[in-house]
Amino acid sequence: MNIHEYQAKQILSRYGINIPKGGIAYTPGEAKRVAQRVSPHGPWMMKAQIQSGARAEGRFLEKRAGKQGGIRFLTGRKDVFEEAQKMLGATLVTKQTGAKGKLVSKIYIEEYFPTEKTFYASLVIDRMIPCVTLLMTTSTTNMVDLAVNNPDKILRINLGLNDKINADQLSRIMSFLRLDENCRKNLKKFINGMHQAFMDLDAIMMEINPVGVGRHGELVALDAKISFDDNALFRHPDIVQLHDDYEDDDRTLKAAKYGFQYQEFDDGSIGCIVNGDGIALTIADMLHNRTEQMACFLNVKGGVDKDKISAGIKIIMTNPRVEGILINILGGFLRCNLVADGIIAATSEVGLNVPLVVRFEGTNKDEALEILNNSGLPIIVADSMEDGVEKLLKAMEESD
Amino acid sequence: MSILADKNTKVLVQGITGMQASFHVKRSIAAGTRIVAGVSPQRGGTKYGGVPVFNTVGEAVAETGASASVMFVPARFVKDAVKEAVEAELEVVVTIAYGVPIRDMLEIKAMLKGSKTVLIGPNTPGLITPEEACLGIFPENIHHPGNIGIISRSSTLTYEVVLETERAGCGQSTVIGLGDDIIVGTDFVEMLKRFHQDEKTKAVILLGKLGGTFEEAAAEYYQKLPDKKPVISYVAGTAVPFDYKMGYAGDIITRGKITAEGKKETMRRAGIIVIDNINEIHSCLQNLQACGKII
Repeated sequence: MNIHEYQAKQILSRYGINIPKGGIAYTPGEAKRVAQRVSPHGPWMMKAQIQSGARAEGRFLEKRAGKQGGIRFLTGRKDVFEEAQKMLGATLVTKQTGAKGKLVSKIYIEEYFPTEKTFYASLVIDRMIPCVTLLMTTSTTNMVDLAVNNPDKILRINLGLNDKINADQLSRIMSFLRLDENCRKNLKKFINGMHQAFMDLDAIMMEINPVGVGRHGELVALDAKISFDDNALFRHPDIVQLHDDYEDDDRTLKAAKYGFQYQEFDDGSIGCIVNGDGIALTIADMLHNRTEQMACFLNVKGGVDKDKISAGIKIIMTNPRVEGILINILGGFLRCNLVADGIIAATSEVGLNVPLVVRFEGTNKDEALEILNNSGLPIIVADSMEDGVEKLLKAMEESD
Repeated sequence: MSILADKNTKVLVQGITGMQASFHVKRSIAAGTRIVAGVSPQRGGTKYGGVPVFNTVGEAVAETGASASVMFVPARFVKDAVKEAVEAELEVVVTIAYGVPIRDMLEIKAMLKGSKTVLIGPNTPGLITPEEACLGIFPENIHHPGNIGIISRSSTLTYEVVLETERAGCGQSTVIGLGDDIIVGTDFVEMLKRFHQDEKTKAVILLGKLGGTFEEAAAEYYQKLPDKKPVISYVAGTAVPFDYKMGYAGDIITRGKITAEGKKETMRRAGIIVIDNINEIHSCLQNLQACGKII
């Protein structure tokens, strides 16, 4: 689960990390009042609160929002009102949002913090060791590009579960980032605060980019991003409260409500229902080898309730991009007959307007096939994954 | 022979009184598994489906000499259950649960270090030595004893590989689901090592997927092995673009560019037979049979 920048900053501030004074606004009038409160004379930063990186380099779809991106530097109080008017209700497109962008319904206004220099800090899980790893760099370019093309420019320090950072590690960071001696104490507090928050709150990724270094060596989180472990949210009811439903598309939300994973890709016209994401990846590979693409898949792994499975199947069936459906279930824990019942229930509600191929294997396969057979529906049965892919592509071609 | 568990392995079941456990324990016993004890706090002294129940793993081990455990406890209790199993020095522990928090897994991995326990899972169908021992939730009637070892990083896709070995007329020595999660108990290298020590196993299938560098580590280990058994591998995820719609974004910034294609190339260079289509496994096995590498 992800949260907004302003929420992440509030959390970090509880762990002793400095953040610029700021506030959230839903209307231009509110923006003006917030600006007045956080810094009477400015200047200010105004930041679109959508969950996406590269907001500054983003562009708004609407002309009225102006040519600037989703992060703006403002000097006059009049500007605050006007720029808020432009951004609110407009759609911001970034590298991470896809072409349709995200609607900006709230903005964050902060006092401007003048920096001597900036750097990048994050905590992630290194699954190979495994441990929590601190990553730091002075570079301001995209981290993924840097990790791929210039991995030596990133300092990696593996942290123990409950350890505080030690003097040796601190010195390594100081010299790697070429920080002045007056930062040392602040740096220690900053990193220990990040680590403590990361462990306490079951985060799986925490990124502060950039960290601003002030004139007297003070360190300030100028941006913040935290992702939490969905499997640990039961320990953090207060974090669950921070979830913003408007950030997810409807199908992902619906699937999550039934306890299933839904994933959509940019291209393709084939929808899949599987139990286990490895099966989805494998079908995607098979389609890829035939120059076809998967539009989306629903993972019903762990399903034990016919009604939920049926509701999940409808998410795929009612996706207008889907022109053919492949259901591949390898039943172990999940019993095939439940999925068969779910298919019948879903089609009786929303109809079956595209070719549907089903492949069952494992627990209660025969019973499941009989259910499909007795339904009288034009369902095509396949006996291997590859057979399923081939039969579906053929049926889609014929229905064109 | 087989690895990790066979017909002589004494198995205990942690969380035996749960609903899912009772369904799968009956099936495991029917499949030949020697289940000697159940553990369920406050139910000690009772019997469940004919199996004596103990309050703690320690008591169960002292009474029955069990050396392996399969646990059906809910995800949030897995950490404590593994701790008990490690402290009782069980050799093999299988965790089926799906949804174990990552922080708990970090703590579990710290407990396992230097211990006598190998953890299979979480988020796995478990492990099965056909007709001898089933520690998990594998479907009925698809496995047969044989000489192919299977190690899989993708839970349900494991069944597809088992079916491929059956299509080739081979059975399985042992099938191991490593687990689908970001952090799991064991890896390809450890299991490859055991399959190479097992006389019965003549060839191994590695089922890899995107995320982490487990396949690269397996390739490095395999390359250095003096006596290599044939290894076949399929890696799921070639079609997924590098922008990372699936999986854990932290992988990129800790390890750089990892793609399914890259994994396949690394494994090929190490001498592993890498295939592009999972349904080619049976023909691959038939080729090995034809040239006498597996009987």
